[in-house]
Order: sequence, then structure tokens, then C-alpha cells
Amino acid sequence: MSESGTNIEITDGAAIPRKRDLGLFSAWRICFFGSVATFLYLIIFTPDPYLRIAKFLPDGILVTFEVTFASIVFALMLGLITGIGRVSKNGLINAVASTYVELIRGIPLLVQLFYIYYALARFVRVPDMVAAVIAMSVCYGAYMGEVFRAGIESIDKGQTEASRSLGFSRRQTMIYIILPQAWRTILPPVGNESIALLKDTSLVSILAVADLLRRGREFASESFAYFETYTMIAIIYLMITLILSKLVSILEDRLNYYGKR
Amino acid sequence: MENDEPIIRIENVTKVFGNLKALDKVSLSVRKGEKVVILGPSGSGKSTLLRTINRLEEVDRGRIIVDGQNMMTRESDINRIRMEIGMVFQSFNLFHHKTVLQNLTLAPIKLRKTPKAEAEAEALRLLKKVNIVEKAEAYPAQLSGGQQQRVAIARALAMNPKIMLFDEPTSALDPEMIGEVLDVMRTLAKEGMTMVVVTHEMGFAREAADRVIFMDHGAIIEEGAPARFFTNPSHERTKLFLSQIL
Repeated sequence: MSESGTNIEITDGAAIPRKRDLGLFSAWRICFFGSVATFLYLIIFTPDPYLRIAKFLPDGILVTFEVTFASIVFALMLGLITGIGRVSKNGLINAVASTYVELIRGIPLLVQLFYIYYALARFVRVPDMVAAVIAMSVCYGAYMGEVFRAGIESIDKGQTEASRSLGFSRRQTMIYIILPQAWRTILPPVGNESIALLKDTSLVSILAVADLLRRGREFASESFAYFETYTMIAIIYLMITLILSKLVSILEDRLNYYGKR
Repeated sequence: MENDEPIIRIENVTKVFGNLKALDKVSLSVRKGEKVVILGPSGSGKSTLLRTINRLEEVDRGRIIVDGQNMMTRESDINRIRMEIGMVFQSFNLFHHKTVLQNLTLAPIKLRKTPKAEAEAEALRLLKKVNIVEKAEAYPAQLSGGQQQRVAIARALAMNPKIMLFDEPTSALDPEMIGEVLDVMRTLAKEGMTMVVVTHEMGFAREAADRVIFMDHGAIIEEGAPARFFTNPSHERTKLFLSQIL
């Protein structure tokens, strides 16, 4: 992303393939075509049990996507609010947003899942699916909030000063000037967080949500084909995240900077 | 409506950064149509003083009245007062995600509720005036520094302000581009715009200013008409500054 200096990019998403990684044997290609080839090889040459497993899982993949998509939508909304709150000059709003981020980042997602699930169950009976989405959104809302904050802070202070000096209010400045510029910085890490979120949805299988991993566990416990089932699960997760990371990198390239570069 | 009430009245303004007194009980009045150039070494408080006029810089003590409005007012009113005060920055600060034309029309459309077609016609007229109408559809990143600054001046003018503030408008420019920006400012001065200019361009101060202010260590040391100020400064520090810079 940055044009100057060294940039250490460690994310919990997936390695986003760079444009220059065009070599035939880039890590992305090895993993992607390797996983596709393995997948096909297994279901064609050893249909029992692999084809049976593959036929058992699509429901779970669908649920994984549903949880992922719903959680991303809510996490983005929470993240936007949190990010703006974190740069707010209002002390109370700032404190609330910052505390939320600190709190969530300090607690493992799995613990949060249990906590929200059982805490909610004390007051209201919500479907497992809803509890899962709430927990994922609350957790990733905090991470997204940090992404939004960094994006907002990456915009030069002069933009705000120019806007305010024309007579725009703080809110108008955010809407017309800051956010439209910040989203270009924000989008790639948001893509990353989304991939991380998708992987972390595997944790909701604990909550009796029939996602990909849960479906696999059901199959394995009936057939005792643990190794074969989890091989398929791993390959399917890998293929999904690799496709998504490719999409994020394509997106990144498209974000050419208003005539620059 | 020519009366003696100054359009900008700064009274005993003090501004402290940490333990540095950026402004120390500064008072300054600017009449309507007057062109005031503020000179001084870096760190003298001249930019800070300029920025207090539209409250980009909050003051700790003192009073600022612009066009009859007290600037120490509530946040909602400050936005209305700022619409009457154009500002040009050292680093241009054009909106990178907007075209040149959109940079000029955004504020009139959103704040003055000017119809889009009308705002665009006015924007093109201003772009013609600053000599850059052919770049209306370009993005700021595609322009040179001098072009960007001329667009920035046009953007400020698009709000039809009563006062224009210039904060070292040519300091970030390559030498060959300074002239084109100063030309625009001279034209503006001739048209009777009230201007307060912080600059190091002595040539501009000499021809365009009605009054020159010399600041040092957060205080106004000397002020006067440019003819007298440049040829016969009365204060030692002014003499030293002028000898270094001329």
C-alpha cells in the first residue's frame, strides 16, 4: 500500500497476492491449484468416502456464507460508528468507543461467543444463528473500528481545515470530504478482516450452528472417517479464502488513486 | 455603507502552545477593502494570528469580531461566519477526490444551496479568471502546484466571501510558479477584496499592500504603509529582518 518505507503487513486474514507475484509458482497459485487438484483427485478416484463427504457439506458452506455475510454487514456498521467515535472530540463518545475496542480485543473470540450466547440466553431466547451473528459482529466491529479509525486518520489534516474554512460542519466534513477519501485506504484491510471473519465463523460450530465445520463433524462422528472429512473441510476452507484473497487483491489494483499512479 | 467600523477587529488576543506564547496580547483592525500583509520570521506567530481570524486556531484570551460577528461563538454559528471568509493554504488542500470543477461547486451547492447549473457557471467564470478553465475536469493530482493554488483561490472565491485570508500561499511553490499565483492575488487586490496575507514575497507586499505588519515573538512590532515600512523602518528588529530578507 504505502509508497515509502518498509511495510510489515501481518494480518489474520490471508496473504493477499501482490500484483508482482506473477510467477507460475507463486504461493497463491501453488495453494489454489493444488487444493483444486487434490479436491478433484479425491472425489474422482476415491468417491467413497470423499464424494459422499462433498455431497454432505454444501448446506454447511451455505450457512458459513450466511453467517459471514450477515456479520460483515453488521461489523461494518459497528466499525464505522466506532471508528468515527474513536476520532471524536467528544470525550464521552471517544471513551465509549475506545473502551469497546479495548474490551473486545482483550477477550478471545471463542470466549466472547460463549459469553454472548449464554448471556443472551438468560434474557431472551434467540436462534443460535442470530447469537452467532451478534457475537461475530460485536467482535469484528471492534477490529473494523480500528481499520476505520486508521483510514480516517490517514487523511491529511489540511483536508479538514480546507473544508471547515469553507463553512462545512464537522459532520459534513466527515461525510463529504474525509470518508469518500478514506474508503480507498480502508477497503483492502476490510477485505482482509472479512476473510479472517469467514475463517473464524468455524468457531460458531460450537453453538450448534450447522456451518461447514459443524456439518463435517456430524459426518465424521457417524462415519468415523475423521481424517477424510477434515481433509475435505480444510481444502474447502482453503479454496474459499484463496478465491476471496484474490478478489481483494483485484479490488486493490482497481483503486487507482484519482489520476495518480 | 462605507463606515469606520473595521471588518476584522482583533483585540488583545493571546494564544499559548504549551509554554510558548504564540500570540501575546495582539490587537489588529482591518478595514473593508484593505489589503494587509503580515511579515515576520518563522515562529513569529503570523500564521497563528491569521488562523485565529476564522477560528481554525482557538484563542485563549481576547476577542475577535469579524463582520460584526463575535467569533467566540457557538459551533453552529461559526460555520455560517466562515462562509464569508475565504482561506488559501500553503499546501493548497484541494479535495483530492473531486475534480477541479467539483472542488469549486461543492460548498456553494451544499452550503449556499445554489442550483448545480448556476454553481457550475460561476465556477467556470472563476476558473477563467484564474486562468485555468481548461483543467475543469482534471483531478488535483494532475495539476502543478501553481495550478492547484490558483484553483484553491477560485474555490475560496466561489463562496463569494467578504474577506480572503492567505497563509503563505506561495511558500510551497517552485519559483517559476510563484508569479502566476501572485498575479491572481494582485488582480483580486485591485478589485477591492479585503485581504490579509501572510507571505515572504516582499515584492507583493510593496505593490499590493495598503499596510504592512511586522511580527516577532507573538507580537506586532511595527506597522505602516509599505513605502515607509520598507525604506524607513523605525524598529531595530524590523531593520534586521529586512536586511536579512531583501
